Amino acid sequence: MIRDASPYPLALAVLAAASLVGLPLLTLAPNRLVPGLPHAGGPVAGAAAVLALVAGFLIAVARGRPGFAAAGIAAALAALAALGLATGQGATLLLDGKPAAARAALGSGAWLALLALLGLLGDGARAAGRRLAAPLALLGLAALAAAGLGSGVLDHLSLAVEYRGRAGAVNAAILQHLGLSAAALVLAGLVAVPLALARLDGGRAGRIADGVIGGVQVVPALALFAGLVSALSALLALVPALRGLGLAAVGPTPAVIGTAAYLLLPLVRSLSAGLASPDPAVLDAARAVGLTPRQELLRVRLPLGAPILLGGVRVAAVQSIGLSTLGGLVGAGGLGAVVFEGMAQFASDLILLGALPVVVLSLAADRLLSLLGDRLASGRLADTRRAGTRPATGGAA
Amino acid sequence: MSRFAGLGAALLGLGLAAVSHPDLAGPLVRALGLQAGTPVPAGRLLWLAERHLTLALGGFALAGGIGVMLGILATRAAGAPLRDAIETLAAAAQAAPPVVVVGLALPLLGFGAPPTLLALAAYGLMPVLRGTVDALATVPAEVRGAAAAIGMTPGQILWRIELPLAARPILEALRVVMLLAVATAALGALAGAPTLGTPIVVGLQNQNGLHLVQGAAAAAGLAFLADAAFQAARALARRWI
Repeated sequence: MIRDASPYPLALAVLAAASLVGLPLLTLAPNRLVPGLPHAGGPVAGAAAVLALVAGFLIAVARGRPGFAAAGIAAALAALAALGLATGQGATLLLDGKPAAARAALGSGAWLALLALLGLLGDGARAAGRRLAAPLALLGLAALAAAGLGSGVLDHLSLAVEYRGRAGAVNAAILQHLGLSAAALVLAGLVAVPLALARLDGGRAGRIADGVIGGVQVVPALALFAGLVSALSALLALVPALRGLGLAAVGPTPAVIGTAAYLLLPLVRSLSAGLASPDPAVLDAARAVGLTPRQELLRVRLPLGAPILLGGVRVAAVQSIGLSTLGGLVGAGGLGAVVFEGMAQFASDLILLGALPVVVLSLAADRLLSLLGDRLASGRLADTRRAGTRPATGGAA
Repeated sequence: MSRFAGLGAALLGLGLAAVSHPDLAGPLVRALGLQAGTPVPAGRLLWLAERHLTLALGGFALAGGIGVMLGILATRAAGAPLRDAIETLAAAAQAAPPVVVVGLALPLLGFGAPPTLLALAAYGLMPVLRGTVDALATVPAEVRGAAAAIGMTPGQILWRIELPLAARPILEALRVVMLLAVATAALGALAGAPTLGTPIVVGLQNQNGLHLVQGAAAAAGLAFLADAAFQAARALARRWI
C-alpha cells in the first residue's frame, strides 16, 4: 500500500502542513499600505496541518481505490475549512482593541497552504478517476467559500475589508473585463475566418497573413497598445467623423483591437487546421455526392474540424482574459484598472482584488471550454457508433 | 526560409528603432497631428534599451537554464512522478498573465529591477520546462533502446541522441520564452524598473504622444531585433553542429 504511494500528493500535504506550522499565518499592520508584522497560527491551524497530512496520505494511496480518494477529498476540504477558520478567527483576535485602520492580512503560510491544499484537492479528484469527482470537489469548494463568506468568519481579513470598501467598483470591473475579453474574442473571430480560408487556399495571401499574425506575437503587448493609442488618435484627427461611431483613442477601442490582434494566431491556426483535418477520401466522397464547395465547407469540413477549432478558441479565450488586463493602462477599465490602482498605491490587497478574479476567470474559461470540447468529442464518438450500427440512411441529416 | 524570416525581423526591428529616434519620431508625431511633448533623448533611449535587454536576457537565462535542466531531470526514469505536477503547474501558471505576475510580485518582492527579474524568471520557467519535457518525450523509445543496445551510457544517450533529436522544439520553446521575457520586461516599468516600457507609461500618464510613439517603436524594435538574433544564432548553431 505504501509502496505504490504517489509522492506528489504527499509532497503537497507536507508543504501545506509545514507552511501552516512553520510560516506566519497572518500579518498585522497599522493600516492598508504598510507591510505587516508576522503572526503564527493557533491550534486550529495545527488541526488544519494534521488534516492536510491525512488528506495527502489518503490521496497518495488512492489510485484505483475510489473510496480512499473520496475520503482524501473530504479531508482536504476539511483542512481548507480549518484554514479558513484559523485565519478568520486569528484576524478577529489580532484586531481586537486595535484602531479601525489596522489590517490583518493572510501571511505567506496561509497562501502557501491554500495553494498546496487546492493542488491536493485537484489531485484527489484526478486520483478518484470518476467523471463526477472533479465537479463534486469544485462544488464542495464553492460551498465552503460560500459558508466562509456568508457566516462572516472571514470578514476581518484584510482582503474582505478591502473588498467591502470597493465592492461596487470591483464587481463593475469584473463585468467590464468580461465585456472587453468577449468583444476581443468576437472581433478576432470575425477577422480570423477570411484569414483561415485564405490560408486553406495555400496562396500568397495566406502566407502574408501568416507572417503578419506571427509578427504581431513578437511585439510586446504594452508597445502594441501604446502604438494603437497613437494610431487611433492620428486617425481620429484625420477623420473626426469616426468619433460619431464611438471610436476613441483611449478606452475600450485600443484595448479590444490590441487584444484581438494577439488572438488571431490561435484562432486562425486552429480554424485552418480544423478545416484541413478531414480525410481526403471524405472530401472526395463529399464532392462525389455533389456538394458544392460551400456545402463541403459548412457541412463537412467545419463539423469535422470543430474539436480542433474549439481547442484554439480555448487558448484564445484564456489569452483574451489575460491581455484585457492591460486595457486598464489605456483607460478601458476592467480588472487591470484595479490592479494598476493598487500598484500605484502600493496597496497589496487592492492588487489582489484585481488579480485574483483574472486568475479565476482564466481558469474557469479554460475548464468550461475544455468540458465543452470533451462533450463534443464524446458526442461525435456516439454518433459514429450509431452510424456504424444502423444503415446510414438519413442519419447524417 | 528561416534565414529570410530572421532577416525580415531584423529589418523590421532596425526600422522601428530608427522611428524611435527623436529626430524621426518628432516630425512623424507632429505630421500625424498628435500631442508632442518633450522627446526622449536618443542617449536615454539607448540606456533604457540596455537596461531592458539586461533585464529580459537575465530573466530568460535563468528561466531557460533552470527550465531545460529540470526538464531533462523530469524525463529521466527517476523523475517520472514529477511529470503530472509539471503539467498542472504549467497550466496554472498560464492562468496568470504577465501583468498580473508583475502586479503580484510587487507587494511580495518590492519595487525595482531585481524583483522584476525574479518575477520574469519565475514566469518563464514553466513554459521552458514543459516545452523541454514535451520535446524529449517525442524521442521514440526504440531509438533510446537501440542506443543503449549498442552500449551507449545514459549520458551519451542524452547528449548524442535525445538532445539533438529534440533540439528543434526545445529551441522553439526557448524562443517563445525569450520573446515573453522581452515583452514582460516592458511591463517592469510599472514596477519601477527602468525599461523601454517607461516612456510608454509616462507618455500615457502625461498624454505625451511623442513619448508614447518613441517607447512603443523602441520596445517593438528591440523585440524584433532579439527575435532576429535568436533565429540567426539558431541557424548558425544548426550549421555548425
